[in-house]
Amino acid sequence: MKTAAKVVPIRPGMEAATADPGPSASRPAASRIEGTLRALARLAGAGLDVDSAARLWSRLYFAWHSEEVDEFGYDPKFAESILPFFELLYTVWWRVEAAGIENVPGTGPALLVANHSGVLPWDGIMINLAVRHEHPERRNCRMLALDMFALLPFLAPLLAQSGAVRANPENAERLLRKGELVGVFPEGVKGVGKRFKDRYKLARFGRGGFIRIALRTGAPIVPCAVVGAEEIHPALGHMNWIGKPLGLPYVPVTPTFPLLGPLGLVPLPSKWSIDMGEPIPMDGYGEDAALDPMLVNRLSEQVRATIQGMIDRRLARRRSVWLG
Amino acid sequence: MSARRTAVTGAGSFLGSRLLRRLSEKHGPDKVVAIDLAPPSRGAGVRHREVDLTRPGCDQQLLDVLRDEDVGAVFHAAFATSPRRDGGYAHELESLGTLSLFAAAAAAGVGHVVLRSFTALYGASGQNPGFLTEDRPLQPDPSLGWARDKLEAEQHAVSFARRYPDMKVTVLRFAPLFGPRVQTFYTSLFDRRVVPVMMGYDPLLQLLHPDDALAAAEAALERAPRGPVNVVPKAPIPLLTAVHLAGKIPAPIPHPLAYLAGDLLWAAGLGAAPGAFAHYARFGCVADGERAQRELGFVPRYSSREAVLAYVQYQKPRLAVSNAEARA
Repeated sequence: MKTAAKVVPIRPGMEAATADPGPSASRPAASRIEGTLRALARLAGAGLDVDSAARLWSRLYFAWHSEEVDEFGYDPKFAESILPFFELLYTVWWRVEAAGIENVPGTGPALLVANHSGVLPWDGIMINLAVRHEHPERRNCRMLALDMFALLPFLAPLLAQSGAVRANPENAERLLRKGELVGVFPEGVKGVGKRFKDRYKLARFGRGGFIRIALRTGAPIVPCAVVGAEEIHPALGHMNWIGKPLGLPYVPVTPTFPLLGPLGLVPLPSKWSIDMGEPIPMDGYGEDAALDPMLVNRLSEQVRATIQGMIDRRLARRRSVWLG
Repeated sequence: MSARRTAVTGAGSFLGSRLLRRLSEKHGPDKVVAIDLAPPSRGAGVRHREVDLTRPGCDQQLLDVLRDEDVGAVFHAAFATSPRRDGGYAHELESLGTLSLFAAAAAAGVGHVVLRSFTALYGASGQNPGFLTEDRPLQPDPSLGWARDKLEAEQHAVSFARRYPDMKVTVLRFAPLFGPRVQTFYTSLFDRRVVPVMMGYDPLLQLLHPDDALAAAEAALERAPRGPVNVVPKAPIPLLTAVHLAGKIPAPIPHPLAYLAGDLLWAAGLGAAPGAFAHYARFGCVADGERAQRELGFVPRYSSREAVLAYVQYQKPRLAVSNAEARA
């Protein structure tokens, strides 16, 4: 080592410059940059190389997700992973009281039709939990999600993995033909985004699409009334001038939002009830019933009136928004 | 009927070459005709006829070949799975080549033509239902030349099927192939350690194992159903699950940036595909396989997950084992 050190020139740059001037003059600077980069790369790589990072990430991902999903992207493992959080909301935050769950058929297809409210689709998750927990068959109610939620970046994959399906007639019919329990909110955006002053007044039930699906598949309709969800985000007004450029159908002003910023997204702890009514059979109307607009409208109106009645009865008994 | 020969165009393609080998094993090499520029490397012994589908007047040449060889059925597989920079060539081959093929087949009295097509032609959109049936209109992004040429090929198939009722025309819409030896622009994304994904999106993908694709192609030649049939795997897979199964790191990119960067890289000659392909990483394009089961008797053996695992196993056998251990 010592003898080798002797022959190393003290100023290597001088020697190189005299021997070969021109292009190599810039080499020391270039090699210094290259060396720094290499060192930085080595330093970064010392802690965690790319392959082990990928393995770590993969392990983390599959701790929460299954490797196989159903045809709509439902991932049972993921749905179960996030369940404890929703259960806390169900039992502690909103103290949901479910009644008439026995009206949900234990097997076979059924269309659960509910009123929609609360700005964010918490009611869908709570209906799913009510059936999952209180029904003896522990059925998984596949909720049909509005486009505004089902196509929203970041939210869309979460909804699909937890079992929700984008609301469109083909999807609903497919699920029912497979004998699944399907939950739908025919009011759509008009329901979930309604103002506080219009609470518990059911909006128009779309164009009766859910009736046509029930008639085509013969699935009975189970009316469902959710009371309490109207108060979680009382929408005093709307700021649609913000929503429009962002592609959102509504941006509500509530007592806490946008005043408290992200904290305003925390739903208020009202007391909820979820009532299921007696199933309405839909299989006795003949083959082309779905093509008869008068019949479709009449049935749609009948279901709407049933649910409105259930809501009104529950409201008459309710003493307090917070205590029930 | 059994005496007549089966011709495969695009015999040098991935699917074409495998089908060629399978058919020559089944019916004997003398009963199979490979139509391509180069002689087939696999399935030695099959008859080879050189026809350039992009050359004007190739329909006459094709007609001679089909008559000479007494061809009773044609599997038309001369399509590019990955987008090409020379869009003019792809257009000549896929749109006009298919037109020439149908014209020659009709004139030669070929009883059955199978067109290789793609489920991607339905187009990826948030408005798609969870599964697309064959009667769904094909609405790919109009800016994608890759899809436009194939759409025109399908339109030729429809118009010839109508004009020549004696000629049965089957259109097989295959889900994207994924598995051992498959090399396309989208499998190449999985060859790097970091896979770009769209931030906030996780669409369901259908990835078809080549063995299943081959089985469906064979069944189509045997049963000769009319019209389009989707050929899809057993179950779809979310993009992120596929990325993690392959032991890769997903790099979320905001989608407006992805379209722009994709187009710029493509224009610069670096990218794997034009930016509009980012649609397929944002929205699902999941096709329904019921008709294939009904009309082809085809039941897929592999799910998308198994296709991904087969691909990983083939690319890097050791990495696949360590990933499986990591997941266990």
